[in-house]
Amino acid sequence: MRRAALAVVLAAPAALAQPGGPPPPVAPVLRQCGICHSRPEFKVVAEDGTARSLYVDERPLAASVHARWQCVDCHADIAAIPHPAGLAPVNCQRCHFPGNPVGAPEDVNYEGYTKSVHGRLRLAGNTRAPLCQDCHGGHDVAKRDDPASHTGKRRQPETCGRCHLEVFAQYRESVHGQALLARNNQDAPSCSNCHGEHNILPPKETASEVSATHIPETCSNCHGSMEFNTRYEIPVNPVKTFKHSFHGIANELGSTRVANCASCHTAHAVLPPADPRSSVNPANIPATCGKTGCHEGANANYARGRFHVDPSSRDAGVIYWVALFFKVLTISTMAGLIGHILLDLSKKLRHARNAESHRE
Amino acid sequence: MSEPPTPLEEAIARELSDTHALSPEEASARAARMAPELRPRFATWVRRELVLQRRNERRARRAAAAAAATEGVPAEEFQRLSLNLRLQHGLMALSVIFLILTGLPLKFHEHGWARFLIGVFGGPDTSPIVHRVAATGLAVVAVWHMLYIVFTREGRQNFKLLLPGPKDAVDVYTQIRYYLGKTDERPRFDRFSYVEKFDYWAVYWGMVIMIGSGTLLWFTEFFLRFVPKWVTDIAKEAHSDEALLATLAIVIWHFYNVHLNPHKFPMNKTFLTGKISAREMIEEHPLEYERIMRARAEASARDGEPAGGQS
Repeated sequence: MRRAALAVVLAAPAALAQPGGPPPPVAPVLRQCGICHSRPEFKVVAEDGTARSLYVDERPLAASVHARWQCVDCHADIAAIPHPAGLAPVNCQRCHFPGNPVGAPEDVNYEGYTKSVHGRLRLAGNTRAPLCQDCHGGHDVAKRDDPASHTGKRRQPETCGRCHLEVFAQYRESVHGQALLARNNQDAPSCSNCHGEHNILPPKETASEVSATHIPETCSNCHGSMEFNTRYEIPVNPVKTFKHSFHGIANELGSTRVANCASCHTAHAVLPPADPRSSVNPANIPATCGKTGCHEGANANYARGRFHVDPSSRDAGVIYWVALFFKVLTISTMAGLIGHILLDLSKKLRHARNAESHRE
Repeated sequence: MSEPPTPLEEAIARELSDTHALSPEEASARAARMAPELRPRFATWVRRELVLQRRNERRARRAAAAAAATEGVPAEEFQRLSLNLRLQHGLMALSVIFLILTGLPLKFHEHGWARFLIGVFGGPDTSPIVHRVAATGLAVVAVWHMLYIVFTREGRQNFKLLLPGPKDAVDVYTQIRYYLGKTDERPRFDRFSYVEKFDYWAVYWGMVIMIGSGTLLWFTEFFLRFVPKWVTDIAKEAHSDEALLATLAIVIWHFYNVHLNPHKFPMNKTFLTGKISAREMIEEHPLEYERIMRARAEASARDGEPAGGQS
């Protein structure tokens, strides 16, 4: 496809068109590359008529962590100008490897990336799967704690959303997305808080942070603490109560058929139950519980009652009283029975001892 | 005064006098000389000898006590549990064992042994099937028993004798006073003591709770068409809590009464044979025993009159 895209260079200076001549020296490269790439109207037009801008704004590069490098330091396969179309993607490993002499950060998780869904697809030849620069930025790479970084907490959703459009749209409206993006609440999770950074795996794979059996663990990073839950007006520990439900127990034992956190709350459109758009709003519960493969045909009765019930808490309502009743019943019954056993045993023991001493 | 002979010296002396026909004095004198040299080599043997000797003495004492207790007691055995009842008990025991093994791990899911047990029963997808099969067994017993106490004469009689009455309260009181040594009088039970009545009604209560809530949980989707979710939540809580109570009662109380109780150890075989000895009958169910004896006397008096007239 790329080869078929015929590069039509508009306004390419004739002086550079030296077919057959020796390649010109490439320093100072930025200025030379700029002969073409600094022109906003510099484009290629593909066979299907779509145009792609080849304009390079030098300002982001100058502001980035890579400001001191020249174009060909990264675009290393350019040996002559004009260069042929279809350059290889930039390979960050040219500098970012352990023990590199140029002082590039070495703690790059290539291994996690190559095992991730992105890395595997890319290595299998899918050019739409992201490389380093697709997430971290091409010319405008910033340090990880720089708010301008593409992979910074608040910019991640947008970065990932360039490919995952629908997910981004859902997340942006969710309680998590609203808190992070609209209110800059750093408690709220961004993409990587749930999915991991480089080692992102599809949810179907057990090892994934968001696989059916890992999700409770992942959500419990925040929602496992009652201090956190109270701060956001969540009255019960949702992870603890889930783990004691039939869903939670089966999930813990490895069943993937059973509902996990995301099955009911959705993965990205998480909203509080009071929100009419929420999947766990009482009006939407029949549809949520009634998903194919779950409780098909669920009706409004599914919403009549409490969710995430903690029988030991008074908030559990009638369940609390049932649990208390059985607690009292069990303790008193067993105390009575064990008392009876001990009385019986001690009497028999005394009896046996008396009989023995009597005989001797 | 010489010291009294040690067990080893006694044993050597016995051996010497037996095999060499030595006089007791000579034998014990030689034994006293030999013992210090032999002790280390024969210590184990001597200990074992002593243990065996004590055991034999204990057995003999017990046999004598048993003989004394059964003196004058007929060797007759009474039928206590009909085959029907033993089969009911058997199916229930089998079902309950599997119900506990596949159910309790859910309550204690965070523990390693729970995971192990679920694994034994084929993991989270098959273990529930085992639970439901066993539950069906229990439900069958429930229906079977209802038919038994309504439609068989034996069942109706047993049921009447199982109904609690004021005498049971008095029996509990007397029994506790007896245990505490306040009285030598022991309560005299009929066919079912208050312990057995308690067991029966505890199972009755347990069956109602477990089968009722279990049905609701098994067919949740069906029942949720008619009842709100909180009803199934109650069922879940009750099922789980009553299960624990029942398990504790069986493992601690029932196993003590029929297995670990020193008078029954290692087990009361009545649940297999259906039989009970006359001695146990007199000991544990004197009122029933007397009733049977009275009935026999009356019957033989009725039948026996012509015979008596002839002699």
